Amino acid sequence: MTWELFAVFIGSSLRLAVPLLLAGTGELVSERAGVLNMSIEGMMLTGAFAAAVGAWATGSPPLGLLIGIVAVFPVSLLQAVLSNTLRANQIVTGIGINILVLGATTLAYREIFGARSREEIPGLSKWSPPLLGDIPIFGQAVFQQVWLLYAGLAIIVLTALVLRYTSIGIVIHAAGAEPRAVDKSGVSVAWVRYLGVIFAGFMSALAGAFLSIGDIHTFTEGMTRGAGYLAIAAVIFGKWTVGGTVLACLLFGAATALQFQLPTLGIDVPNAFLIMLPYLLALLAVGGLAGRQTAPRALGEPYFRR
Amino acid sequence: MTGAAASMTGNLRAVLRPSVVISVAAVLAAALLGVALIFAMGVPVLDAVAAFVDGTVGTPYAIAASINRSIAFALVGIGFVIANRANLVNVGGEGQIAMGGIAATAVALYGHVDGLPAGLPFVIPLIAAAIAGMLWGSIAGVLKIKAGTNEVISTLLLSFIAVWLLYWCVQSPALLRKPMTNSATLPESLEIPDPTKLPLLTDDYSFPVHVGLPITIVIAIVAAIVLSKTVFGLQLRAVGFNPIAASRAGISYSRMVMISLATAGALGGLAGGFMLLGEQYVLKDGFSSGYGFDGLVAGLLARGSVVGVIAAALLFGFLRSGGINMEMVAGVPTALVMVIQGLIVVTLAGAAFFIGGRRT
Repeated sequence: MTWELFAVFIGSSLRLAVPLLLAGTGELVSERAGVLNMSIEGMMLTGAFAAAVGAWATGSPPLGLLIGIVAVFPVSLLQAVLSNTLRANQIVTGIGINILVLGATTLAYREIFGARSREEIPGLSKWSPPLLGDIPIFGQAVFQQVWLLYAGLAIIVLTALVLRYTSIGIVIHAAGAEPRAVDKSGVSVAWVRYLGVIFAGFMSALAGAFLSIGDIHTFTEGMTRGAGYLAIAAVIFGKWTVGGTVLACLLFGAATALQFQLPTLGIDVPNAFLIMLPYLLALLAVGGLAGRQTAPRALGEPYFRR
Repeated sequence: MTGAAASMTGNLRAVLRPSVVISVAAVLAAALLGVALIFAMGVPVLDAVAAFVDGTVGTPYAIAASINRSIAFALVGIGFVIANRANLVNVGGEGQIAMGGIAATAVALYGHVDGLPAGLPFVIPLIAAAIAGMLWGSIAGVLKIKAGTNEVISTLLLSFIAVWLLYWCVQSPALLRKPMTNSATLPESLEIPDPTKLPLLTDDYSFPVHVGLPITIVIAIVAAIVLSKTVFGLQLRAVGFNPIAASRAGISYSRMVMISLATAGALGGLAGGFMLLGEQYVLKDGFSSGYGFDGLVAGLLARGSVVGVIAAALLFGFLRSGGINMEMVAGVPTALVMVIQGLIVVTLAGAAFFIGGRRT
């Protein structure tokens, strides 16, 4: 493998990992707070769709991104109300929301674009950091990326810092591990969990928008193709830490990038196997490669006062 | 009061349970919203409804197609209910169907079964399909008891893997793709030999319901009896309620997890076998598309009752057929059916709060 190809591989791994990184970090916060948010997939798809329609209708990709974020909010709220206030089974609500969103976005896409499908949609612009972008070979291939990637990485670092060093982080952690203690200290468990789910929705919206207006500049029906579930697997693989989740997402991103890289190297591996690879890795990951699993103790259990 | 009368009133009470009332209300509300959406899309509602009805009960063929579809949903749904008794959520129906379809095709085409005496040419591929689904479901079981992996995640990931395995099988001439005679050879298998196709209940090809129907009815009755009248059913329920207490009572948690997920997988695989040997005859990419999820939703909607699964499976079977016809005739995308289904699931999940039960 030449350096040029290696640089392209690193660059595309990073790009393909971004939706997982964003959604995975959102899911991490939600799970730390105690809500197993299965609707990440639906939230991403909503974000991807609304951002694409927004960018197409207004002609402005940043405005599209904003529309994507706003559009996911009701979905997050629905998940939050069902899983906290109505204490519904979080897995069932998540899957219900995913089916609903897949149907609704497909329907709306056909209504809006009809025969003009696969239309190019204005996308977010690229940016490269001043010094890094000037590195020979790697500068362009690795660091020349959509600005949302850098913004997203900044949010992820910020999230890690908040979780680790602030009282907000402690409260989020406690809501998922010892909700009764949180309740007794006078903080509403429901509020913490609502915010956790809404944050997951926000991050998923960014992830979805990255897919549609960041990466391929179009929307296709069901374009998330299970990325939301990969993000959930990444959280498990990463043992509910930001660092671990980030590494898992990068691994899945690299596995996805292989399907574009190996053919150019003349290595003959069946395409289907390469497409399957991230899911296979995720299965191995959640199936014990990660070692003992230490989920937040109250994960998935609705909290109610006795 | 005689026993029969007592069970009659019992049944009546069961039918009028608040959960049933709410299920029916949720379905009706979602259907109404569907009609409203059709109206909003500017499609003449009457045309759409006419196309829908035509696609469901308009012809004997439409009825038969709907019933065949319901069979697959019912099997996946029954599997879901069995696993759910042990408080497990099997969302891997899609992948289990795909594995069943692959196995059925492989055995029907290359297993030298078509010369065997009556029945065996299609029974053997069906058994292969059930075994393939069972193995696929068992992977989730092994991961659950060895590593504590949440079966929702594992069955979902297994579904993605199975769907791409299916794609691989029909793309690669070394696997199940038909011999490539020219560059236009479609990525699909050969058609299975006639003896391996499921016999129809009537010889009338305008009403092609296959033998999967009686087999599924038998499976449903057995499942209902096992779940409600046997020690095994009770053990499954005990594990679902409280694994620790159940294991103190001498019930092996691992054993129950393995059996229930393997059974659910086998039923999913069998569904795939029926779809391939009874209707499609040729393995294609995406042949399982949506069936697993419809079966899952049927299982969810049934709230643990096998009778409920049958009702929901029939509902979705006819809903799908109607939806497809609506797309072809009135131009309403079948995605509308997904919207309705999603709404039903979300509404019912939320409604559980009002009927007091937390379990699905």
